Amino acid sequence: MSQFGRVKQWNTFARCWHLFDATWQNPLQCSPLIEKYLKGLHKPIYHPFVDCGDHVVIMNSKQIAFPGEEWRRRVYFHHTGYSGGASWTPAWELHEKDPTMIFRKAVYHYMKGNLFRRVVMERLHIYPDSNVPEEIMENITNQIQPLRPIPKTLDSYSNEEIEKYPKIIDYPQDYLLSK
Amino acid sequence: MSSSRFTPKGFPSVPLQNGIGRYICQLKRVTLRFCKSSGSSRGVRDFIETELISFAQDHPGTVVYLKPRRHKSPSFVAEYLNGEREVISCHNFSSHEMIKWLNLYATRSGIPLKRYLKMWHTECPSIQGVWSPFTNMDPALNITQFPSKKLSNPVWEEKSATEELLEKVKQQKISSDDENDDDNTHSNRAAQV
Repeated sequence: MSQFGRVKQWNTFARCWHLFDATWQNPLQCSPLIEKYLKGLHKPIYHPFVDCGDHVVIMNSKQIAFPGEEWRRRVYFHHTGYSGGASWTPAWELHEKDPTMIFRKAVYHYMKGNLFRRVVMERLHIYPDSNVPEEIMENITNQIQPLRPIPKTLDSYSNEEIEKYPKIIDYPQDYLLSK
Repeated sequence: MSSSRFTPKGFPSVPLQNGIGRYICQLKRVTLRFCKSSGSSRGVRDFIETELISFAQDHPGTVVYLKPRRHKSPSFVAEYLNGEREVISCHNFSSHEMIKWLNLYATRSGIPLKRYLKMWHTECPSIQGVWSPFTNMDPALNITQFPSKKLSNPVWEEKSATEELLEKVKQQKISSDDENDDDNTHSNRAAQV
């Protein structure tokens, strides 16, 4: 292979780093999206035996959202291997112990179990908050857009926005909204 | 089977774009070795008597040597422009077989036989260039500071009822302002008239 051809080869198989903000995202719905980038399924050169996956950096994994009763009902099973070593941890408890664990497990369980799964998982970097190390942040060239919009909380409205908001009635001066 | 691992492999190739525009016969020399008396050389002798002149006339770029050797098995040596050399035994060949084998070796390029990895080859695999992660990438990403606020929103977002209501209020305000303006202009015109 010529010298230029070798460089073209490196360019084609260059690993990219993608950022994903997990704020208000359901990890169970995001895992197919993350898996696509981890395995390189989005590339035209994809082949199952070709190592062409990208790195994905997930930040704010502490801010993930589950629908309905999922935090209480979803249970993670673990067995130590000894008798009586089974344990069931509810999602909220696991999330308190390690805020990155639920996202990691969601992606891991979504992927098909083969010899490449653990290798692919090594390319997933999860951070509980937005404090991503500088040496990882400087590699990032793309951001994966989330699936769900981030809802605007009531306390995030500024006074100006509240004043401008269209009103149907004016409450009387002696009307008590809250104690 | 397993010998395919050790046999030479490669892609179809041709010396100096032979056959595109002009064709040069790659066979430069043929040396026919035969016996003048033994029976195994009979077909070769027949060939020399009847066909050899027309073969030499048909291939002006090829030198033909005749090498009579007493009590030796007949054979011919084909030598090519790229230096390759091949010896072919023509023991008990008929005159017709000789024509066929010589024709085969005259039309070969001299490149040794190999196992073809693909039945086609091109020097220019892609005109638009090989794909890389950076082809078709939005150049705006080069100057984007990550995490970007714009990219933190979903690709498609459904409008909430609140947003639709706010938009309607805005539209109503604009239309009512327009009506007021229209009324003013009318009154002005009336005053002018």
